[in-house]
Formats: sequence, structure tokens, C-alpha cells
Amino acid sequence: MDGHSRMRTLLAALVLFPLAAAAVPDEDADHVRVSLVSEQTALVPGTTAWLGLRLKHDPHWHTYWINPGDSGLPTKLSWTLPDGFQASEIAWPAPHRMAVGALTNFGYTGDVVLPVQIDVPESALDGATVHVAVDAKWLVCQEECIPGKGSFALDMPVRSITANDTNVERLFSAARDMTPHAAPWSGMAHVEGDRVDVTLHTTTLSNAASLDAFAIDRKIVANTAPKITHHPNDITLTFKKSEYFAGTPAQFAFLLHADGQSWNVTVPFDATNASQSN
Amino acid sequence: MKLRRVLPILFSLLLTHFAFAATIGQPAPNFALTDSNGAAHSLADYKGKIVVLEWNNPECPFVKKHYSSGNIPKQQTEATANGVVWLVINSAAVGKQGHLDGTAANGFVAQYHGKPTAYLFDTDGKVGHLYGAKTTPHLFVVDEKGVLRYNGGIDSIASTDKDDLAKATQFVPQAIGEIKSGKAVTVSTSEPYGCSVKYGS
Repeated sequence: MDGHSRMRTLLAALVLFPLAAAAVPDEDADHVRVSLVSEQTALVPGTTAWLGLRLKHDPHWHTYWINPGDSGLPTKLSWTLPDGFQASEIAWPAPHRMAVGALTNFGYTGDVVLPVQIDVPESALDGATVHVAVDAKWLVCQEECIPGKGSFALDMPVRSITANDTNVERLFSAARDMTPHAAPWSGMAHVEGDRVDVTLHTTTLSNAASLDAFAIDRKIVANTAPKITHHPNDITLTFKKSEYFAGTPAQFAFLLHADGQSWNVTVPFDATNASQSN
Repeated sequence: MKLRRVLPILFSLLLTHFAFAATIGQPAPNFALTDSNGAAHSLADYKGKIVVLEWNNPECPFVKKHYSSGNIPKQQTEATANGVVWLVINSAAVGKQGHLDGTAANGFVAQYHGKPTAYLFDTDGKVGHLYGAKTTPHLFVVDEKGVLRYNGGIDSIASTDKDDLAKATQFVPQAIGEIKSGKAVTVSTSEPYGCSVKYGS
């Protein structure tokens, strides 16, 4: 290819894929390709937009959830945004439970997005282009682990109308399907010897074919799957107590996963536990 | 007949024993392992001294952070200079990442100017499982009476980044200091962080 035809190809690419060309190319990290993506092609003043870190894992490699489990490290993001823009924490999709020998990890495989909500201020100027940047750190493991980090940026147009970016919309919608809802049930946690029992007052979960739970608050329960017992008006999740348990906290937050849906659940510990000093 | 009645009891005793093998405030389980120079070490040999157990895999990025920064070598040097016994334990199975021979282990320690008492091999993973060692690094501190006083991570900030060391609380020197001055250990458990221990089974 001579210089002219190379230039023509480049120009064609710029015309066909303006956003892709403006974006920093994917970081060439070992075993996971990482990039910053936007669900929509433009940002609209006074609305919220969804950006995300895309992690395209090699087969059998994984990165981690907010609680990585017995080993590993959660992915971390640090944003640099124009004045008035605001990034939320990662809206962590429900993780997969992964066994590494006797150890348990919580994380992601395949092609996924960790979505982050970005508030676009009213003051953003229609027609402007804004530079959105993020520093990311992750740990990618099969059995062995490789720490990675990278800086990624997008130059996003600000417009009064926008549309989904068809290259990534399925990734955002898949992440959204896995995003936990606020739990509509009340419940209670109780420490009993070497276990922690959580009772949830619900009848909606009684027919669930698959139920699992992942601790968000640490040092309370072991990462192994809880045992589930169904009762007429509630369910009990029996966890093994964490080996690093250091006294009963006020409450316990975890993610409950049932038949493809998930919920963020926070339950208080009951009074008999709370009154104990340790 | 009798066996059939006794077996379940024995079995549940065994399970309980292993589930609570390494419990804060309880005697640390005894073990005997061979070091990188072929010498035998048993925990019982060191009664009367504070003993630190450090799970190690030289290839793990978290271990590399704490060795190449000098953090663990410095803690080893200070501890052993003050009469503390520091045993590094490698539970990597044959063929797994971090499995190495005595010469390579000595080379690793020398490379980072480490000063442990010994580098021990637990290739079948029995001692690792006995203590519930999950990650590299994963640290345990046993007091002069043989009681387990600390079980957890090397420090308070889970990362592979050396820049985090300045802000992190180093739990092992803190526990050693408190044990030496007859105090309660302020942080006796933390969640260990790092690579999974590369057990064979």
C-alpha cells in the first residue's frame, strides 16, 4: 500500500467511524482488551449518560467484582471530567461465582462493560466537544494474575439529540440486565456459632430455580455459596461465618441473585447479636 | 459395628478441627516442614518466641510489590533482629506458578535482601490448608505461648501498587509490637489480599 492509498483508507475510516477514530485505541494489555465506551453517540445537556469500561477477556481469563472473593482485586476507575460533569461509582453488574480449587472468586468473563453514570450539566454547550478521561486499574487472572492499568479518553460531542451506539448498546443492555434492583423485602441477620443466618421475608423467591448470594460487606461471611432453605413466608440463607469475622456489625449488605435477576439487600443484625460486644 | 458409630463422630471432629484449625486466641496448629537448605522446622521448636508465617509465591504481582518495594524484607529484618522467628512458606504444587527449588528460593530471598529465619516448602499444601492460607501474601502471627494472634493480609490497602504503601497500615509489625508489650492485638484479623495460593488440590 503506498502513502496515498493509505491516506485514502485513513480518510475513509475517519468519515465512516468518526467516534472510533477520535477515541484512544484499546489498550493492548495481556489477556484483556480494555477501552472506554459510551452507550450513546452524543451527550445531551441536563441528562445522564452512560459510559463504561469495556473489558474484553481472553477465554478463561477474568477480572473482578467489587468484592473479588478469596483472592484478586476489584477494577478501579478514576475520572477526569470537564467542569460540571459528575461520574457515579461503577454500577457493578452481578458477578459470576468462580471456583479456583478450594477458593472462590467473584468476577467477569467474556466481553463486558462496567457502566458508570455521568451527569451532563445543563450548562454544557450544544455543539461543543468534551474530553472525558478515565484512569483504570484492573487485575486479570486465569490462575495466574497480571495487573494492568491504562488511561482512556473519548471526545464526545454535546448535542440536543442522541442515539445509541450500535457497536456497544448490547453490552450496556446486558450489563443493565445484570444490575441489581433495590430489594423490596425486609429481613434480619443472625450470628449462630460458625454460621450467619439471613432470613428474608419474601414469597416471591420461593419458586426460584437458582438462588445465590455474594457478600458486599466484608469480614462477615465466607465466600462459599450459602445454603438456601425455603419456608412458607420467608427464605433463610445460611452462610459460613468469615474466618476474619471481628465482631457483629450493625448490618450486612449482599447481592442476591435469582433466575437471572439480582437485588441489593441490606439487613440488620438482630438485637441479641448486636448486644454482644464481640 | 462400633466403628460405624464412632466414624461419624470422628469425622465431625476432624471437620471441626480443620474448620477452626487457625483461630485467633487458640493454639496455632503445629506443623513440620523442610526449608530451602534441607533443614527441618517445626512450629513447636519455637515455643517461647513470636513466630510470623508468610505465604509466598515469588511470581505473584502482590508478592512482587511487597518485595521489590522492600516492605516485606524490611519487616523480616526488623522482626528477626528483635528475636522474632519469620517463616516464609511456599505451598505451590509441582508444576504450578511459584513452585521452586531450594536454590531458587535462596536466590529470591537474597535478591531482595530478605531476612527470614527460613524459607519452607509445603508442596502438598497440607500446612496451607491447615491454616486456611488463601493468598500470597497471607500472614499469621503466633505469640510466645503458641497462640494465634493475627490472621490476615500484609496491610490495609489491597493493591499491586507500591504508591499505596505510604498510606497503608502494616498489620504484622503492629501485632508484634503489641504482643511484645503485653497488649491486646488491635487488628487481629483482616481479609488477606493477593493471588490465590497455587495449591495442587
